[in-house]
Amino acid sequence: MSVSGQKNAGAPDREPPIRRVVVVGGGTAGWLAACLIASRVDAACNDPVSVTLIESPDIPTIGVGEGTWPTMRGTLEKIGFAEADFLAACSASFKQGTRFDGWATGGANDRYYHPFTAPYGADRDAVMRWASAPGTAGFAASASAQPAICERNLAPRQRQMPDYAGALNYAYHLDAGKFAHLLARHGVERLGITHVSDHVTTVERGGSGMIDAVVTRDTGRIEGDLFLDCTGAAALLISGEYEVPFEDVGGILFNDRALAIQVPQLEDAPLASQTNATAHQAGWIWDIGLPERRGVGCVYSSRHVEEGQAREILDAYLAATGGTGSASAQEARLLSFRSGYRERFWEGNCLAIGQSAGFLEPLEASAIVMVELGVEALLEDFPRDRAALVPRARRFNALMRYRWARIVEFLKLHYILSRRIDPYWCDHRDPDTIPARLAELLDLWHDRPPLAADFSAIDEVFPSASWQYVLYGMGFVPPLASPMRHSSPGAVRALAAQRDQRERSLLASLPSNRAYFDALGTPPERQKVTTH
Amino acid sequence: MSSHAILTAEDHRDLRVRSEAAADLGDAVMGCLTFPDEFRRVQGEFPILFRLNPERDSFTALAMFGLEDGENLFLGESGWTATYRPLALSIQPFLVGRDASGDGPGQVHIDMASPRIAHSDADGVRVFDEDGQPTPYLEQVASMLGELDEGYRASAAFFDALKRHQLLQPMAFEVPVEGGATNRLVGYHAIDEERLRSLDSVALAELHEAGHLMPIFMALASLGHLATLARRKVQRMDRG
Repeated sequence: MSVSGQKNAGAPDREPPIRRVVVVGGGTAGWLAACLIASRVDAACNDPVSVTLIESPDIPTIGVGEGTWPTMRGTLEKIGFAEADFLAACSASFKQGTRFDGWATGGANDRYYHPFTAPYGADRDAVMRWASAPGTAGFAASASAQPAICERNLAPRQRQMPDYAGALNYAYHLDAGKFAHLLARHGVERLGITHVSDHVTTVERGGSGMIDAVVTRDTGRIEGDLFLDCTGAAALLISGEYEVPFEDVGGILFNDRALAIQVPQLEDAPLASQTNATAHQAGWIWDIGLPERRGVGCVYSSRHVEEGQAREILDAYLAATGGTGSASAQEARLLSFRSGYRERFWEGNCLAIGQSAGFLEPLEASAIVMVELGVEALLEDFPRDRAALVPRARRFNALMRYRWARIVEFLKLHYILSRRIDPYWCDHRDPDTIPARLAELLDLWHDRPPLAADFSAIDEVFPSASWQYVLYGMGFVPPLASPMRHSSPGAVRALAAQRDQRERSLLASLPSNRAYFDALGTPPERQKVTTH
Repeated sequence: MSSHAILTAEDHRDLRVRSEAAADLGDAVMGCLTFPDEFRRVQGEFPILFRLNPERDSFTALAMFGLEDGENLFLGESGWTATYRPLALSIQPFLVGRDASGDGPGQVHIDMASPRIAHSDADGVRVFDEDGQPTPYLEQVASMLGELDEGYRASAAFFDALKRHQLLQPMAFEVPVEGGATNRLVGYHAIDEERLRSLDSVALAELHEAGHLMPIFMALASLGHLATLARRKVQRMDRG
């Protein structure tokens, strides 16, 4: 028996149990974390865990992102939303991946997809099948039916399917403000979260270094056993109180500014199935279509272009995509950010969740998924009492550091294979800016494709399939035949036939995004019963 | 009212058909037509019974889903709950048509008055793709229609043989329902097991050579599923 086990057996009440979770900060991260925890609390147990969320009325929330990862479907189901209600309340649309325009060469036909559905067949087979059939479509279109579905603006599911089931893997684009609002209402009304609208003025620490309470301006002291720092860039607890350093990765990922704007959807314009990410001379532009509006933003490196130039780049994009309406890039909101993450995310009885933990440019929409994964890791191994905090914090920190580092490398991959010649792009290819682990992997991939074994953690944010899509989308030369035999040519051919048949079936059976969302709110078509 | 039309890429380029099983799409039926070549697939889950036509001169075979009119015990809230869905249901709202002469190759017709015709782009499956080529769904329907057509045509010989050997007998099946009442299934015929056992080797050889023996046994074996229907009915009554 372990030492702590003996202690528990001998004196079960010595350590205060973790019963009161206090989330500091609203916004997407705070409300999502609070709802996830509250929805998993076992209300039948003796002394159930309570969740309190303190949201400052003074601080406007910044939508951390409008793109999610497919994990969001499971998250919403756990929290307890019907899918159609969520879609309507958040003006959401389906996201089946990202389309990258102009990243490899900037030329006219420079386009590739990173779809959410993994390639058909095993890691190696999909790549070798594509590589051995020269002159065909790009890797993604060869490996998955999803790019063809995206090209036609089709939805990933049929209306009569059960909630959150898809014919193809998918996530959502959403209005972050509406999403936080929906979570708040559901959290308070259905999940029993206590909502305190007040400003935290001071933090009270006990002898052991743990936070005992936060003091608010009007409500006074709010005690807790576990505190979640969801205060965004302010990082009130993890930085303000615990002074955990921030590890800047600006030397790897140069972007530090974004000009964000919303433009109305043109009438009858198709609703895109993916986030469009269009490269420019010193960064890239996101374009996220919701049913009523598009969110567009120019991400750039202030070291490489001036703000005025960035506004011109955004203006040119808006004009080219026909979506300006009355909006002009002059009205775009300027956001400054630092890319990086904390040295530690869990210190004492405080966990940093959301932007307080780290922030990276919105490429590949990692912000919300990191909230989900962080909270899931906490819930999977929820500490019973204060004594249980230390080993869990150590494990949590190692896990989250691993994840942040992998995301940084994955984002960097998008830049280093480019053949664009602008100074920004050349700087990205400077070996001194490329993480060692990434450089080593690239070396391996000259001889063989990215394999599952390269990314073998549980709940890997970007599995080997994602790396394959970006790697070969960017024009990386696929490996020659291996000296070892890995699968029979017959099996690979059969797989190709299956994939083609699947694509044809999907094209026939999936409705367009527009049709899906126009019909949202009306139940699947029902007609009068005819008797035979 | 039905309104049958020949299916063409020109007229039906953007047509979408709802292929899922639902009561208001016409699946609330107590049985559907089947044919000897399908008996093997049907008998795994449904009883196969026979019914005389109104003129009392020929039989049809039916896969049974319920014990009273409009009752389909295999239709759940989220669709078809059996593994197999008989062809006569799966091909709805399509049917085999022929030109005026009545022979020649079968054509794919569609009942445009069927509730399965989707009136919203948000529902259903396309029949033709953007280029006017049949989709996998239509290919599958066409192949099922072909099989049905051939199966129905070939079944006349089967029913002749059953009549010749007097292998069908009227049957009744009773299920006790709530309040001491019974639900009685009448007006159907089933394979006469006694009669089948008493056939001599010449008759058996003749049936075997014509390919009728196997479907006869399949139909006989399927009668065990009358109990399945009764069990599903009781379960449904308990729930509702």
